Amino acid sequence: MIDVADVKKSFRSGERTVEALRGVTCHIPKGRFAFIVGPSGSGKSTLLYLLGALDRPTSGRIVVSGTDLTAMSEAEQNHYRRDRIGFIFQAFNLISNLTAVENVLVPYLPRGLTPELERRAVELLTQVGLGGRVDHRPYQLSGGEQQRVAIARALIKDPEVVLADEPTGELDSKAGDEVYRILRRLQAERQTTLVVVTHDRRFINPDDLVLEIQDGLLKTDESEHQRNLIGAEV
Amino acid sequence: MGRFAWRNLLTRPLRTTLALVGLSIPILGVIGLFSLSGGLRNLVGDTLNKIQGVMVMRDNLPSPVFSDLPTNYGERLKAVPGVKVVAPEVWKIAPSVNGTRSFTRTASDLITGGGAKAMKSLLDMPLIQGQDIPTHTNLRSGVYPSSLKEKGEGRYLEPSDAGTNRVVISRKLSKDFLKPDGTPSGVGDKLRIGDKDVKEFEIVGIYDTGSMFLDVVIVMDIGTARKLLGVSEDQVSTFYVEMTDPTANDKVSLAIEKAMPDVDARSMNEFMANFGVIMSKVDIFLLMTVSLALLVGIVGIINTMLMSTTERFVEFGVLRTNGWSQGNVLALVTAESAFLGLMAGAISCVMAYAGVTIINQFIGDGLRLTLPFWLFGLGIGISLVTGTLGGLYPAWRASKLVPMDAIRLGSH
Repeated sequence: MIDVADVKKSFRSGERTVEALRGVTCHIPKGRFAFIVGPSGSGKSTLLYLLGALDRPTSGRIVVSGTDLTAMSEAEQNHYRRDRIGFIFQAFNLISNLTAVENVLVPYLPRGLTPELERRAVELLTQVGLGGRVDHRPYQLSGGEQQRVAIARALIKDPEVVLADEPTGELDSKAGDEVYRILRRLQAERQTTLVVVTHDRRFINPDDLVLEIQDGLLKTDESEHQRNLIGAEV
Repeated sequence: MGRFAWRNLLTRPLRTTLALVGLSIPILGVIGLFSLSGGLRNLVGDTLNKIQGVMVMRDNLPSPVFSDLPTNYGERLKAVPGVKVVAPEVWKIAPSVNGTRSFTRTASDLITGGGAKAMKSLLDMPLIQGQDIPTHTNLRSGVYPSSLKEKGEGRYLEPSDAGTNRVVISRKLSKDFLKPDGTPSGVGDKLRIGDKDVKEFEIVGIYDTGSMFLDVVIVMDIGTARKLLGVSEDQVSTFYVEMTDPTANDKVSLAIEKAMPDVDARSMNEFMANFGVIMSKVDIFLLMTVSLALLVGIVGIINTMLMSTTERFVEFGVLRTNGWSQGNVLALVTAESAFLGLMAGAISCVMAYAGVTIINQFIGDGLRLTLPFWLFGLGIGISLVTGTLGGLYPAWRASKLVPMDAIRLGSH
């Protein structure tokens, strides 16, 4: 499903160069719930954004379902993000002057909305428990509710992969539990591949794939490595 | 996406309002100046349409007031084929009227009220026109007698008024030179005209052409005017000439100028053309002035949109993350600034309409500001283009953000 091969990413920060990723190689099988964990500044989010084609690696290859992200043109990247990837951010990042249902429909605004799309958006909001709040603006929703809108926005396109960056980072534990409960249910129903960056290991189940990053390098323990290999064979 | 762009403006009402004010003022200026320019053209056109003859005066002079011609040129003019009536006239700036000297009043207005007041005072300066009454009576198109007949009071000058101190004045002058009790001068009242040798003149008629250029003339007999103004018998200022065929004015004018090279035979078409050239130059000057204001408007829009886009890095990052292309982001921000331009144009048009309606209630002298439909279109068009141009750079800047950088920059 997702193959990352010797990916390096460096940034210029003033006079110095920061090496965020220093040669990461990993495989995430289709339909898995994968976590990327590690300390702050270890390169977790950078790897996640590269998987979403939000930026290009300095070197290495990333292949998602046979598509080489590093060889994509700008337009192909746009299509990839629009049709195949769903994003969930720590800070929810809803558009403040759009209603919940309009936020869910954001990927389709440039192309124009159809009644079918609007029906799907309302259905998704209902699935995440916000059926009665479709016309609410973000400021009228709690943090947990906003994150559920963001989940619906990520899922409206029925993506192959959902990428989540600390999705419970700004939520209390109850709201965090609710978000993971929804994510796991939707992943089970749709067989979507989920890749989640987190600090909080409470939400990791024994069957989940865990990729631990430290100083820009992948540090995977033996049991997880074995599971990765099994996953790769599947 | 249009609705989204529209809402983005509404969610920042103060900034949007300030940007609208910044852009509306120069657009209002453009509409106002063209409106004034159109009003002046109409006024001059209306005025000149009332005069169907040709004015023969000394070459290269701006006004009949400064012209002097030998009286015997009248006979030479009559000899030009196509000429029907030659009416000699004496023109001068009026000396003191009721103790007020025109030059003194203009100078005083310049000191106390500045250029605008002095300009009005200059346009209001009364002139004396001495007419050869018998020949003027034969004219087809007498502006003053016809306007007196239509809207005036009293009577026009008759051959029996020759050599007498009888005058016809405009309604405007009757209000400018009040009686001792403060009411406007009327038929039968007297005006005291002259600097050293002040004489009383009886008002026998009051005309009202409705034109600020014509309603400043005190009309009297040419002999009386000569005595008052010190003009000798063998000199006139101008000859007012009517042709046998009024449609041949331009052709006969050329013939007059050919026969008498030191005169200028100005048909009203020529006056109109000359005025049009002057107004075109004035328009260019005004447009250059307004362009500066427009430039400030564009800078205001750029500033507004730059601030708006800088605050919204995360939003653009999220949009790009959700598959929006650079072109989509460019279109969104450009649409927002175009909406700003469109709104500023619409506001300017409404304000211009209201302003012109109010101003036209208060200005007189035949001047009416005009607001043709094309002027509304021009205002909205300029505003739309200005708004769109002002938004292009911020839109380009927003669209060029790498999604990951946009989210990171906006989060910090």
